[in-house]
Amino acid sequence: MSPELARARTQRGATRVTLTSANPYQPAPARIMRISEEVADTRLFDLRFEAPDLAERFQYNPGQFIQLSILGVGEAPFSLPSSPTRRGAFQLCIRRAGTFTNYLFDHVREGDLVGVRGPLGNGFPVDQFAGHDLLLVAGGLGMVPLRGLLQYLIDLRHRFGRVMLVYGSRTPDQVLFRSELTSMSRRGDAEITLTVDATAGQPWDGKVGVVTQLVDNLHVDVPKTFAVACGPPVFYQFLLERLVAAGFGKDRIFLSLERRMECGVGKCGHCAVGYTFTCLHGPVFSYWDAINLPELIYT
Amino acid sequence: MSDQDAARGGSAGPRGAYAIERSRIDDWVSTVLALGEVIAPMAGHGGDVLYAPVETPDQVLWEFDNSLHPPKEVLLPQTDPLFEIRGERSGWQVAAVRPREPRILLNARSCDASGIRFLRGVHEEDLRDSAYLRRDADLTVVSLSCPQPCSQGFCICCDAGPFLDDGFDVQLTDLGEVLLAEVGSAKGEALVRTSDGLFRPASEQELSRRRMLEAVAIDSFGESTCHFGSAMRRISTGRVVEALWDTMSDWCFECGACTLVCPTCYCFSIKDRQSGGGWQRCRMWDSCQYGAFTLEASGHNPRPHRKDRVKRRFYHKVSAQYYLRDGTVGCVGCGRCVTVCLGTTDMPAVVTAIRKGVWNG
Repeated sequence: MSPELARARTQRGATRVTLTSANPYQPAPARIMRISEEVADTRLFDLRFEAPDLAERFQYNPGQFIQLSILGVGEAPFSLPSSPTRRGAFQLCIRRAGTFTNYLFDHVREGDLVGVRGPLGNGFPVDQFAGHDLLLVAGGLGMVPLRGLLQYLIDLRHRFGRVMLVYGSRTPDQVLFRSELTSMSRRGDAEITLTVDATAGQPWDGKVGVVTQLVDNLHVDVPKTFAVACGPPVFYQFLLERLVAAGFGKDRIFLSLERRMECGVGKCGHCAVGYTFTCLHGPVFSYWDAINLPELIYT
Repeated sequence: MSDQDAARGGSAGPRGAYAIERSRIDDWVSTVLALGEVIAPMAGHGGDVLYAPVETPDQVLWEFDNSLHPPKEVLLPQTDPLFEIRGERSGWQVAAVRPREPRILLNARSCDASGIRFLRGVHEEDLRDSAYLRRDADLTVVSLSCPQPCSQGFCICCDAGPFLDDGFDVQLTDLGEVLLAEVGSAKGEALVRTSDGLFRPASEQELSRRRMLEAVAIDSFGESTCHFGSAMRRISTGRVVEALWDTMSDWCFECGACTLVCPTCYCFSIKDRQSGGGWQRCRMWDSCQYGAFTLEASGHNPRPHRKDRVKRRFYHKVSAQYYLRDGTVGCVGCGRCVTVCLGTTDMPAVVTAIRKGVWNG
């Protein structure tokens, strides 16, 4: 290989992560400590690695993900909704959606041993965020990776300026981490705005309407702020241009994106977008990166 | 180095060149068989050429049209157990599946040896795939150069043949009464050295004859090959008109055969399967041409249309972005996609259509 090519390779800046095992496909045993029903069909799992040294050593960035194994069933990728500032254990927030999660919900109980490999992906650029205001915009399950980031920001509150969260759900009974978000808001740790598409006759004291409309009403000091968004594809279509119109630079908007992933280490090809792998160079991309990768947001 | 070598960017060349009498070749294969499992082209049922473990030297083919399936299965089996899981769900252990053992791939064609080199790069890139690379390290690749280009091949456009400058452990060239063995690595050197008395240093005449054979082989490709340059520029910059992709993908039957027989395709899925009293986690071939390849649990599919998937395949293989990553196009010019495609969405056809802007499917 020519020196130019070798240089080009190293400059691509793929993530360097320390995996749970030398064999990138091999999971490490982790025990399910607690399972709680977050909302209907969505559960919060508390996990801890079986090996005490690994449990202590396991470090990750907010926004990274892991591959969860149920032996004999397979594995699937899940975002980490917990913060690396809280050591020893970690959480997963999972919605029932397919074969793997059906099995997880129907057969896996507290105390069971599952496999975990990771952390995978790049995570949010939290060092870059230091000293700035943060605007987090979540749609639906997009709250899961942003909850990890939010906890991180709150745990290291002095390092960041304003922390704002705008979080939209379909209906009031779909709002994730509701009591936690309410108490965060009450303590003044973060400015949190919750909204639902429709109240569906349920009691609701938040806003009604799509999340993208609320962004306009926030009084944000745009040059001081980074925007971080996570949600379904349709959510990005409306949100991103609105943020740009509000004055956000495309390199100051970060997105956490979803793709089908199998290997998590940039080999299997499923999550490839353009010349990047969502599992390796993502799942967090700046909007600037994303518009240059045509398949990434819109299809 | 001949001028032609220099023009093709020929490297400093292999470490050493040896020669073996044709009459002694079976003796050499016998020695190699004692070193480990030997996978070589052999006549299968019905006369098809296939790469499989051989037991005796007379099973090895020396003159053959290349097999329909590339020998990539040696390193990347269709179902490849990554590890075994034993025990109950409340307490289990992970065990290695197979012991390490030296294996020799004999008489891989230049394109296929290049395919193996390509796969090595892919698995070394970014996070090292130790499971694959260990197997690769245990494999010695003996390639067989191609003085006669095959009918569908265009390896000359991919720097993947008909003769190789590097990327092999040993490269054999049939010179008639003698076979020339160029050594490209320490593993190759060991393979030649263990056969005391069978190999002697090659003479200048033999090396010169090899260069002549290469020049003739290169010359016999003619002009109607696969010109990547223009296609690469247009694909990399998104300047292929959508209507052309529409037309080209109309000729794709989504069978995935092109990717399954491609020496450089490696996409896979990970599945668990039952084995004995436990489970094996396996990597299994998958294809980017299948609709469910990118289907997410939420139901969202970023590549819902066949056109998206055809585009993806050629972007991965031909774009400058991947060229920079892999140091080569993702094609070794073996021509297998031309053979297996039910339509005509094969590499030369698509590259030509993009270059000319017209589809002659």
